[in-house]
Amino acid sequence: MPESRLPNIRVWLLGALVVASLLMIAFGPTFLDRFALNVLSRSMIYAMLAVTVDLLWGYTGVLTFGQAAFFGIGAYATAMVLTHLGNSPELMLLAFALAILVPLVLGIVVGWLSFGYGTTPLYATVISLVLPIVVTQVAFSGGQWTGSSSGLVGYATLPLSLAGYFRLTGICLLAVAAAAWIFVRSDAGKVLVAIRDNEARCAYLGLNASRIKIVLTAVLAGVTGLAGFLFANASGVVAPENTGFVFGTELVIWTALGGRGTILGPVLGTIGIDYLSASLSGQLPFLWKLVVGALFVAMIILLPNGLAGLVGKILPRSKGARRGGGSLRLAQAMQAPQDVVDKPPLLAIHDLGKSYGSLNVLQGINLTVQPGELVSLVGPNGAGKTTLMRCLSDGTESISGSVSVRGANIAGLAPDAIVALGVGRKFQVASVFDSLTVAECLRMARAARHAPSLLHSSDELDLPSAAVEILKLTALDGMLDRPVSALSHGLKQSLELTMVVALEPQLILLDEPTAGLTKTERMTIGTILKKLTGELGLAAILVEHDLDFVREISSRIVVLHQGQLVLDGTVQDVVNSELVKAIYSGGAHD
Amino acid sequence: MTILLDVITTAAILFVVAAGLLAIFGVLKIINFAHGAWLTVGGYCAVATAGVGLNPWLALPVAFVVGSALGGITEVLVVRPLYRRPLDAILATWGLGIVIGQLITLWFGRDVQFTPNLLSGTINVFGIDYSFYRLFMILAALVVGLGFAVLLEGTRLGLSARAVIMNETLARGLGIDTAKVRLTTFMIGTGLTALAGVLLTPLTSVDPDMGLAWLIGAFMLVMVAGSSFGALAMACLVFGGAQTLVSTFVSPVLGGITVAVLCALVLRISPKGFARA
Repeated sequence: MPESRLPNIRVWLLGALVVASLLMIAFGPTFLDRFALNVLSRSMIYAMLAVTVDLLWGYTGVLTFGQAAFFGIGAYATAMVLTHLGNSPELMLLAFALAILVPLVLGIVVGWLSFGYGTTPLYATVISLVLPIVVTQVAFSGGQWTGSSSGLVGYATLPLSLAGYFRLTGICLLAVAAAAWIFVRSDAGKVLVAIRDNEARCAYLGLNASRIKIVLTAVLAGVTGLAGFLFANASGVVAPENTGFVFGTELVIWTALGGRGTILGPVLGTIGIDYLSASLSGQLPFLWKLVVGALFVAMIILLPNGLAGLVGKILPRSKGARRGGGSLRLAQAMQAPQDVVDKPPLLAIHDLGKSYGSLNVLQGINLTVQPGELVSLVGPNGAGKTTLMRCLSDGTESISGSVSVRGANIAGLAPDAIVALGVGRKFQVASVFDSLTVAECLRMARAARHAPSLLHSSDELDLPSAAVEILKLTALDGMLDRPVSALSHGLKQSLELTMVVALEPQLILLDEPTAGLTKTERMTIGTILKKLTGELGLAAILVEHDLDFVREISSRIVVLHQGQLVLDGTVQDVVNSELVKAIYSGGAHD
Repeated sequence: MTILLDVITTAAILFVVAAGLLAIFGVLKIINFAHGAWLTVGGYCAVATAGVGLNPWLALPVAFVVGSALGGITEVLVVRPLYRRPLDAILATWGLGIVIGQLITLWFGRDVQFTPNLLSGTINVFGIDYSFYRLFMILAALVVGLGFAVLLEGTRLGLSARAVIMNETLARGLGIDTAKVRLTTFMIGTGLTALAGVLLTPLTSVDPDMGLAWLIGAFMLVMVAGSSFGALAMACLVFGGAQTLVSTFVSPVLGGITVAVLCALVLRISPKGFARA
């Protein structure tokens, strides 16, 4: 049957490639000449760097030119120890440790600078440009310590032959590539893709995306430093251009041509282009660079996923078989018991105000919500409903007054910290991860509770029973292996709601969950909400325009008008209110 | 006194160099990483103009025409497909910069070229002798700055451009041909950059990499300035001033990275930089 045969092609190809590379590493030196061994050793070191660039850029979406700087620091650290201190085995070990540790520590600092909460993606790129420039200038002005513009040369290196270096770098590259390959396929690796797709959603699933990116930057800086150590030994010379911004752009070019978002693409792309560059640069140096540049431009425009993307389209996909709908088991996670004795109210808003300049969007809002309540927030456009929702779920918004969740003031807390307090937020436009499958999206919602594995991709999906029930009601349980991009608008809305419920929140904020849905879908969502609040004791705040829907499911209705809370009462109170009729018919503007 | 003149003229040079990049970033929200290549193109326009024996000042209009023509082709072929992928646009324009650099190398060779001075000698200001050409750059910066002010405030294109800067969707809804505004802006930006390349020739040597040295500085200044020429002028004065002071009193090497480091720090503290949005 074709379903089970097709994926084997990929597995076989990969296995064959690993065997071929092992054979190449073992026997390459017997038939390759000096030139090829030399260049290929270097190319394989560069390929390790391309893997790190790819993990940051291709998988996580952070365009970086800064890997060159970490590489240069690792190489300089090694060369400086070997030049100025000596090359006894202990000192070689010191050089090795420094080559990894110095970039690692610097990586933490750079990560902290690049990924503060609220910094733009472009800012990380800006920092990654400045870093190699600064490092290069330091290398230039280091006098005899760094050898200034001529760099360091002539120090004693590891006692290895040309073949030895070839094998060493080959093994290191294989190890780095294999580790990266396993990581990006693990549940933890999917978090990177989730951050690339939709960082805001990650934050509202309780994931601290900034911290994840800082850790990633630091670890990859360490790996890059290791490559620097190898380079300093294998080449015997370290110069300022090894750490410069132009080298950083070359790494990105190789990664892009090979294929970002794959591991194999950048490795083969780098080795291929660097080897060809070395071979051709004698005969047609400028023309070759011109061809690479033109190819790069064309590739970015026409084939953003590089050569590997093209190959991936031709080869049959293995995804469906690896985790067919049947092989993924839904498990019901134990839900923490909710004790409601003598607790502060679930949500307490006191005299909340929010203004943009002289425009007061919200003013003097007081509201208390208890477990089990389903509060609908209604009001005409521009009443401040969405702003209110944002003030409840993001403590970094500047507000007057206070918002407390379960007695804790949320002022200054980033969204992921508020999720940890038990608040889940569903956005107006379905906010999910388009590159992931349904199951992977749901797993993201659990990632803040159970740290995902760095090694495997689990066959089991632990979800709270309420979430499982929504999946069954919406028939999403049969589509767990579907890519999210293939879901209908309604199913995406349901998926996002399930993700929010899977957080096991005590308070759910929903911004127009039924917008654009069919009548049946609307009924389903209504049933779910009633059940969550009525039976499971969650509280929900719902922004909604459909007043019939509101009347049917709410336990309480709050009316916002021009930034003020004008009415707070039962469904009956509000439906019969003259004021509400006046507001909705366009009057009552003061 | 010399320091003060150095600060002002350095700021003026930076402003002239960065203005074209800002025009493009402000309206198109695209970072043209081929900016350095256009400076180089301008430099070689000066070389070519001198080569055929024309008045060196003629290089200015020649560079503007060549630069904007190349810019027009680039906008249509390279930049237009990438408006929705701004990070990819950085890379594609960088690649284009490589292509242009190599074409120039193939045509003119790798060697440093020399151009006739536009203005030579020194002039006595406030009792000191100062390079006449550096003082002329202040005038050039004022002309560029005022030119843009007039263009933005006084013409129909400027009005459309401002509308696109503020709210592109709305502008398109109001019947503004945003594609044309983008094309025109890109052409003006690249033309101006090539012109800046001519103006740089008396200050630096002309070689295929001459633009690269200016790219990062211009890029960082534009990041801080956002989409405002006023903010750019201020950024040039502040950071150019800092660069002059560090180069003079601390070390020229540190001076070379002052602009980049300070801009990065300013952006960390206030992500909007000097732009009052």
